[in-house]
Amino acid sequence: MSQQTTRFTLTGLVAATVMALTLVAPAHAAETRPANTLQSLAELEGKAPPSHRTLNIQTWNTREGARVLFVEAHELPMFDLRLTFAAGSSQDGDLPGVAALTNAMLNEGVAGKDVNAIAQGFEGLGADFGNGAYRDMAVASLRSLSVADKREPALKLFAEVVGKPTFPADALARIKNQMLAGFEYQKQNPGKLASLQLFERLYGKHPYGHPSDGTAESIPPITLDQLRAFHAKAYAAGNTVIALVGDLSRKDAEAIAAQVSAALPKGPALAKVAAPAEPQPGPSHIDFPSKQTHLMLAQLGIDRADPDYAALSLGNQILGGGSFGTRLMSEVREKRGLTYGIYSTFVPMQTRGPFMINLQTRAELSEGTLKLVQDLLRDYLKTGPTQQELDDAKRELAGSFPLSNASNASIVGQLGAIGFYHLPLTYLEDYMRQSQELTVEQVRDALNRHLSADKLVIVTAGPKVPQQPLPPPLDKPAEQPLGVPEH
Amino acid sequence: MNALARRAAGLLLGTICLPFAAFAAAPQPTHEFTLDNGLKVVVREDHRAPVVVSQVWYKVGSSYETPGQTGLSHALEHMMFKGSEKLGPGEASRILRDLGAEENAFTSDDYTAYYQVLARDRLNVALELEADRMASLRLPPDEFSREIEVIKEERRLRTDDNPGAKAFELFKAMAYPASGYHTPTIGWMADLQRMKVEELRHWYESWYAPNNATLVVVGDVTVDEVRTLAERWFAKIPKRTLPPSKLPLELAEPGLRQLTVHVRTQLPSLIFGFNVPGLATAKNPRDVHALRLISALLDGGYSARMASRLERGEELVAGASSQYNPFTRGDSLFVLSATPNTQKKKTLAEVESGLWKLLDELKTTPPSVEELERVRAQVIAGLVYDRDSISSQATTIGSLETVGLSWKLIDNELDELKNVTPADIQNAARAYFVRERLSVAHVLPEEQAK
Repeated sequence: MSQQTTRFTLTGLVAATVMALTLVAPAHAAETRPANTLQSLAELEGKAPPSHRTLNIQTWNTREGARVLFVEAHELPMFDLRLTFAAGSSQDGDLPGVAALTNAMLNEGVAGKDVNAIAQGFEGLGADFGNGAYRDMAVASLRSLSVADKREPALKLFAEVVGKPTFPADALARIKNQMLAGFEYQKQNPGKLASLQLFERLYGKHPYGHPSDGTAESIPPITLDQLRAFHAKAYAAGNTVIALVGDLSRKDAEAIAAQVSAALPKGPALAKVAAPAEPQPGPSHIDFPSKQTHLMLAQLGIDRADPDYAALSLGNQILGGGSFGTRLMSEVREKRGLTYGIYSTFVPMQTRGPFMINLQTRAELSEGTLKLVQDLLRDYLKTGPTQQELDDAKRELAGSFPLSNASNASIVGQLGAIGFYHLPLTYLEDYMRQSQELTVEQVRDALNRHLSADKLVIVTAGPKVPQQPLPPPLDKPAEQPLGVPEH
Repeated sequence: MNALARRAAGLLLGTICLPFAAFAAAPQPTHEFTLDNGLKVVVREDHRAPVVVSQVWYKVGSSYETPGQTGLSHALEHMMFKGSEKLGPGEASRILRDLGAEENAFTSDDYTAYYQVLARDRLNVALELEADRMASLRLPPDEFSREIEVIKEERRLRTDDNPGAKAFELFKAMAYPASGYHTPTIGWMADLQRMKVEELRHWYESWYAPNNATLVVVGDVTVDEVRTLAERWFAKIPKRTLPPSKLPLELAEPGLRQLTVHVRTQLPSLIFGFNVPGLATAKNPRDVHALRLISALLDGGYSARMASRLERGEELVAGASSQYNPFTRGDSLFVLSATPNTQKKKTLAEVESGLWKLLDELKTTPPSVEELERVRAQVIAGLVYDRDSISSQATTIGSLETVGLSWKLIDNELDELKNVTPADIQNAARAYFVRERLSVAHVLPEEQAK
């Protein structure tokens, strides 16, 4: 009930496009830093990088061809199971929204149980069922206590839900209505509208171009037979990655994976989506009666297997991938007070996902702010990061590593991504090592291989109002003389 | 250990009542102590990974603010990142980033809190930073002039351009006639426009004292380690006399209040709010636990009454929710909200009577044993799942302590809920779901305003 308001929050916009875990390595824009007087920091100097939890990832394939990744974690009497299917909206074909609708219908009916009985079944065991569909993938997950009399019935129900859904007609009508209400609801959100137009402009007719949930036109005509056909091919065992973490022995895990896999339709992995064509750069505007203008600047980025992944990831962290202290945050928010948050991101996907910069500012400053952001990007691409920025980013990445696998929830997410994108099991360690070896030139060159300030697709959403000049920046806040505080 | 846990957990849903610790099997050792200057410290050990979360909670938030000065607590939270004796503006954030820490802060009605999640060997740095800004915040005027613009952007983003949030802000202002809970945490725009850095200094000097704060550390640490570090950095900060702070008390039965608000939305919606006590103000805590169970019966999952009856059975609503936060410093609000199923041509009036039907049924008909067992099963499992996140554990401890309750409530959680009888639920429904305690908002699209 209590409204919480935080100094800064990552918007869900970007995260919603893909479920995969990205190592977050926000970095530091200090050109020159004053020597601070923290004793604790001095004491940390020269110490080895922090230790991290080592994961023993076990992997095998089920008889039906599902890939399994498993980590034993006996500390808490619970487990997480996450199935990742190559069943996102990029597999919609000529039925935009069929992937989302199929996923939303999984828990609406199985043989002998309607939606209420299924919900009561999970909740009566204290188990959490989760599902979601995105562009590359669809997900179904189960969190349960590991004690056998909870685990076994929860798994039995879960296997039926993902493998043998009955897709009742009345549920389909209801879910369609709720999705239509969702489309109406989107109309009040200028950020969402801008994001939809951005994907349309970046990808056009490519399978990433249409909204993952489909549209008010595409959802109503979708039939039960089309859902069944989609489920039969896209939820097939060969198209599935099974990630498991928790209080289970290897033998338990093998039995669980076998049980779930056997319940799924039989079939192979679906073909990967093709690479998109280059989009037409330039601006477009959505007129919207808000106080702020939303600004999105984007280009096509990379796929998950791109050899430049580590360099771009680190380069992006310095530009705008973290929170405070990135170049964009420092210049646009901290020095000029123009926005609550500004972020840049590469979203590496099965094929080329977007690179995006995303912010909002008061409408009368939107043109000046847009130009400022473009200038900051242009300047960054020209020079690349400073040596200090790069060193700081590397240190930060090493320091954040222990956080990346501290909970079962974060581990199961990583296993899902490793399995889905066919990354090596040593992926996290490899990524850390590659990142630590990067030079300023390598980062700059990688950024310039993929980005150009003149090729941005730009979408704005907000009111048309007379424009004002930007306020002058505060001079390098980090360098202000440190005096005795006044009281 | 785990074998015992599983066996015990299996028994728990039957008739045998075991304390939570018996089946969770490995309760994290939790310790508390207080420094001489009044800083309370709670340490919970979680040795699964070499990481730690540190949170500093201050007993101040928007419910402490007076008219004309709304938004002070939140603005001060922003300015806490703009330098202290040892650190320039923004520098603490940069240092923490370089160390690979996650950090942020949040403000609510009842509290302002700051946190860092980081590798265990870096806890020392987090505590030195927090101690420095507890003792010697600078509040540079030029930084404030920029940061207040950021805060206005935050308000535009989250409230002014967000029709649902805007409607709820107005609803809260009506539903809490007597207490500071009517104040929006981010502050009214008119108050942001005229806020002065001197007011923030006064607010800081009034409330940011060690004896008004709680340090919570959860993770791969021992209490002795934390005690040493806490003494090192915080012990020298002097205790101060605090302004009196009174619990936000509400009128028991203020009368039916109604609001019609037109916002930039396509879909109408309805909000109900009943003035009810919180755990800190209830004469009988059992009422509060009964209200918590009611909220779970209504909206504790996809099988709960709102989803199974209103959303699916009658297809009356496109969505509906129930919220009740009993862990407040003062009196609370029991809130129901719903969006009519416009595809089925349902109206706000029909939704309103649908909600009343659910509430009236609670007064007359006891919930079934199966339904209560389902709620309890979710509570039991939830207590285990919560332990997967050190941040969520720390937040629970910190928020309880800061609203004047004890973190030890977590250990009694299950027993408290188990002790609630069907008759308690009926009594609570009869006592609290009455028109005299009700605020209603009709949130309508702008077109219908004409």
